[in-house]
Amino acid sequence: MELFLMTLTTGVMVGGIYALVALGWVLIYKCSGVLNLAMGELTLIGAYVSLSFYSMGMPFLLALFFSLIIGFVLGLLTERIFLDKLIGEPVLTVIMVTVGLSFFFKGTVEFIWGTDTRVFTPPVFSIEPIRLGSLIIGQVYLWSFVAALLLLIIFVSFFRYTRWGLAMQATADDEMAALSLGVSARFVYATAWAIAFMAAGVGGTLLGNINGLNISVGYLGLLVLPAVVLGGLNSIPGAIVGGIIIGILQNFCGAYLDKYFPGGVKEIAPFVFMAVFLLFRPHGLWGWERIERV
Amino acid sequence: MSTTWLPCGDYHQSYQEDHGWFQTRFLKGKMILLALCLFVLIPLVADSYWLSVCNTVGYTILGALGVQLLIGFCGQVTLGHAAFLAVGAYTSTLLILEFPWPGFLVNWGLAYPLSIVIAAVVAGVWSVLFGLPSAKVKGFYLILTTMAAQFITVDFIITQYVAQIGGRGQAFSLPPGTIRVGPWVIDSDLKVYYMMTILVILCIVGMANLLRSRAGRAWVAIRDNDISAEVMGINVVQYKLLAFFVAGFIGGLAGAFWISNLAAISPEHFPWFWSLWLVGVILIGGVGSLHGTVFGSLFMVLVLEILQLAIMPLADTYPKLLMDFLFIKEATFGLAICAFMIFEPNGLAYRWWQIKNYFNLWPFSY
Repeated sequence: MELFLMTLTTGVMVGGIYALVALGWVLIYKCSGVLNLAMGELTLIGAYVSLSFYSMGMPFLLALFFSLIIGFVLGLLTERIFLDKLIGEPVLTVIMVTVGLSFFFKGTVEFIWGTDTRVFTPPVFSIEPIRLGSLIIGQVYLWSFVAALLLLIIFVSFFRYTRWGLAMQATADDEMAALSLGVSARFVYATAWAIAFMAAGVGGTLLGNINGLNISVGYLGLLVLPAVVLGGLNSIPGAIVGGIIIGILQNFCGAYLDKYFPGGVKEIAPFVFMAVFLLFRPHGLWGWERIERV
Repeated sequence: MSTTWLPCGDYHQSYQEDHGWFQTRFLKGKMILLALCLFVLIPLVADSYWLSVCNTVGYTILGALGVQLLIGFCGQVTLGHAAFLAVGAYTSTLLILEFPWPGFLVNWGLAYPLSIVIAAVVAGVWSVLFGLPSAKVKGFYLILTTMAAQFITVDFIITQYVAQIGGRGQAFSLPPGTIRVGPWVIDSDLKVYYMMTILVILCIVGMANLLRSRAGRAWVAIRDNDISAEVMGINVVQYKLLAFFVAGFIGGLAGAFWISNLAAISPEHFPWFWSLWLVGVILIGGVGSLHGTVFGSLFMVLVLEILQLAIMPLADTYPKLLMDFLFIKEATFGLAICAFMIFEPNGLAYRWWQIKNYFNLWPFSY
């Protein structure tokens, strides 16, 4: 029972980070229809940038803030340089450009920062675990979850209540109508990428705090794909719920199935789940079902 | 009709003529010249280094052919093809190492060729297994399931289970002399080169023939519009699965061939990167064109070789450049894909077609 509760809480907390990254993914898809396979590399970039600032001796929050700014700029640049020209191209073309981007980013990150595992020194969060009754939670997990939750709230209220957020929602809903009402679609696309970069950067920084930072954090970024498929590609609540469910699923498989299938069950389980889930409900929990006509 | 040059315009009178392999004598001469180049000139001129570059090109072509069939001709996007290469390579290696071959087969040097065929079939069946979702989903969702194929096959099944068979640890090394084709022991770059050339020619000819058969036309119909294909009476699921089988078969062939060039095989030879690399190769070469597969492979491998040669002189001043060349390679590959997608979405094969058309009308084009 204790193991069950422990696994559940850890799962929810890691899932919170996935949810944050998944939110960025869904945002890009909703606004511009780009299916982004470079999300893992976006998390890498953000994580390494904030690590660099942190090891230069900045306080953690300031480092995170600067990495957000850099993420914002990089997001705008990426959209302007690579994806702006592809509006209206076939899906495969756009996907492959994001694949190309992911190689470019990954190669650059590896070239600049190397492939050794790096850790945030001194540790940002204290190693002393927190005890809630019989439950033991690592502080890293708890604070990461709180941070992820906080950012999720900020992002969601940004879409709800600000002028820009509403413009983005309008574009996602009906581009033509939004254009005729004076919303600049190009601006919206660029902002979507900038926000995705920022969300992924925070997610990457938090993930890097948990297990140290190396290229495999980019692989964790790929886990957003099962999450968004589960939630539905164009649903923001779906991304949040999907991210948390994937986090829970992953930790349960790690805790219970590892005995029977030694090795990498924890890494593979979300993808197996995704493949099976796609067979039964390809549009996800809350995604739009497309009806095809010739 | 002239038997030497094609006239400008289409003057074929039957489908047989239209689909003919060697429509003009000029073309026949060109093909003989190409064969001479491949079998005589390159082995004479190239040293061991360039031969190994050629082998890499051949391996890329073999791997990319299956991807080209799936993406370019059947419209089923796959991002997990390296998994089937890995299945082929591992099946072949395990057969050679563990299977109790009858003595005469080993003596005649048939063990390796037979294992290649079996490996190709196994890879084909494995590919069909992961092609099954294509009956239900398509587009982006299919991309995700093929991605899952990669992670499940290579990172889980092969790394955790298959690679442990026989207790050799991670890497399987083939003792020298076990890779034999007939009387020849494949132990030098030159012999690998000959084997590669023959395999590539066989596969390309086979594919080209397949594409002008009923199955090939059905695939193209499915690619262009799967709903209308179904309305036309094509069994869409069956032909999609057939495409997955053939693609997996060629992939398995490629993997089983490549073990002759590797001292030891391990799961790291078939990463997700390689799947994406193959897709990148056909995008750069041109989607939906067999020429494109070859052009893309040549282009990608040669460009990276040239890049490496270009970096060599700089290495004395900046040793980091050479040490981390792998990462530069990745970044360059990524940029090349982006650039091609943005500026030349039809790939190199389209350029080639344009040049050919230009000379077809030369010197009196409109």
